Amino acid sequence: MTRTLRCRALILGAAVALTLTACSGNSDAAGSSANGKGLEKTVLKVGVLPVPDVVSLYIAKEKGFFKEEGLTVEPVVIAGGAVALPQIKSGALDISATNYVSTFMAIGRGEKIKLVADMYQAGPNTFNIMVPNDSRIKTVADLKGKTVLVNTLKNISTLAVATQLKVAGLTEKDINFAEKPLPDMGNALKSGQGDAGLLTEPFITATQSTLGFHKLADTMTGETEDMPISGWMASDGWTQKNPKTLAAFQRALAKAQSLVSSNRKEVEAMLPKYTKIDAKTASVITLGTYPSELSATRLQKVADIMLDYKYLTSPFDVKSVIAAPSKG
Amino acid sequence: MTRARLLRGVVGAAGFLAVGELVIRFGLSSGVVFPPPSAILYQAVLLAADGDFLLGVLTTLTNWALGLLLAVVVAVPAGVLLGALTPMERAVRPLLEFLRPIPSVAIIPLAILLIPADELMKVSVIVYASVWPILINTLYGMHDVDPLAKESLRSFGFGGLAVLGRVSLPSAAPFVATGIRIAAGVALIIAVSAELLAGGTTGLGVFVIQAGSGGRTDLIMAATFWAGGCGLLANVALQAAERRLFRWHRVRTGAV
Repeated sequence: MTRTLRCRALILGAAVALTLTACSGNSDAAGSSANGKGLEKTVLKVGVLPVPDVVSLYIAKEKGFFKEEGLTVEPVVIAGGAVALPQIKSGALDISATNYVSTFMAIGRGEKIKLVADMYQAGPNTFNIMVPNDSRIKTVADLKGKTVLVNTLKNISTLAVATQLKVAGLTEKDINFAEKPLPDMGNALKSGQGDAGLLTEPFITATQSTLGFHKLADTMTGETEDMPISGWMASDGWTQKNPKTLAAFQRALAKAQSLVSSNRKEVEAMLPKYTKIDAKTASVITLGTYPSELSATRLQKVADIMLDYKYLTSPFDVKSVIAAPSKG
Repeated sequence: MTRARLLRGVVGAAGFLAVGELVIRFGLSSGVVFPPPSAILYQAVLLAADGDFLLGVLTTLTNWALGLLLAVVVAVPAGVLLGALTPMERAVRPLLEFLRPIPSVAIIPLAILLIPADELMKVSVIVYASVWPILINTLYGMHDVDPLAKESLRSFGFGGLAVLGRVSLPSAAPFVATGIRIAAGVALIIAVSAELLAGGTTGLGVFVIQAGSGGRTDLIMAATFWAGGCGLLANVALQAAERRLFRWHRVRTGAV
């Protein structure tokens, strides 16, 4: 009895030791091996959110654009931009999706991040303030003293609402913001936890069709028209260490972005493969646009609006945080 | 006896589902929308044949098993050592009592920052969370050893190690097993929480993030159903193993 037990313990111990060595052994080899194009790194872990914004990454992967460049891209689902930042810094991720407002605020705090590619730009009706069908709120001015639900405080959502408040002669101080995850927002508004909510797709379509909500305002109008929303980021150190890898990634992604921007069907076909948005919903939701070039001029608009609304404390030159694609 | 008990359990679960169905279909106020149990169970059945989901479950359970195993490897010897050497326990105890109540979920953000390898990060927080129940139960088991049995062995001339091997360890083993069973539940909670907070390529928690971003509350609930199912199965299996291995202990303490 004791002998078999001891035997088992030995085997167990050996198994654990083997597993541990196996875990620690394989991380480096694939990434640093030299190859024909002189890439510093060939296997990239890229943080993505399961939303329509990042569709090009999956298109580039499926159509072999990354492969043509000698890259193997592994999409890693992230829980949000706030978690992606430490993962970029620790090296858990090479590149990650991020939204510009959070990124610029992080850079304002002194974080060393570079933007490496553009991803998604707002279109009409992609960021709407929605209210229940029986709401007595008829205009943005009626929001005075009311509670507006947003996905994340001090982010693109609250900034977007603030720009519409300004048009109606109000400021952020005239209303209350409350945080609520997007999937729960419809029910929260129905049960009176808030008076209006800032929703994105597929939740705009879903709350319209299942709960009968309607649009109070499209926040991406006026000064926020065609506002750049999200892009790809990497740490300063990573972009300096991997210039050729970065250029290869940028080329492949730009190719996918231009394919996607002119062909909505590609997006609709891809969405059900990496999100839980089914084909039927994918065909009706409103989408923004997919720019293939990271333009400092367009991004500067975001930083300037942020400064106006005190999301940034000092002026900010966007050019300094762009890791521009190298020519050739 | 067991069949009657099983039947009652099934009746209880069915009753709960029926009440849930009625409340959600007719009792929810002002048009709030939530998937009823029937819709959730239907999605749960579909998920059982969904390759992506199954791969995710496998990943989560692998992290869970590896974390639990490492926790046993760390906590049982540590518990035995501290239990056998009282002065050492007195020295370490305040630190243990400080670390133990820290919610393990709270250390996940720290782990994300410190450990770049995703799997290693997840397994580490699982180990951290599961070490405590095993360690504390092992300690209690070591304290609970019958002093008369130890004395008897000593008076027959057995040394300290022999007393440890022949009396203390067998006597503490059932407590260790209970600790492992409690840790198994904690480990599953942390395995899924780590994925919810840190994301990843695949996993139960990753699936829930994806379902949430797609507005699929029914899929979130169906995945949660399977998470509960995994926990239930693990508990039943460990309990059965305890019954088999430590029949004598139940007889002695008169537990059911």
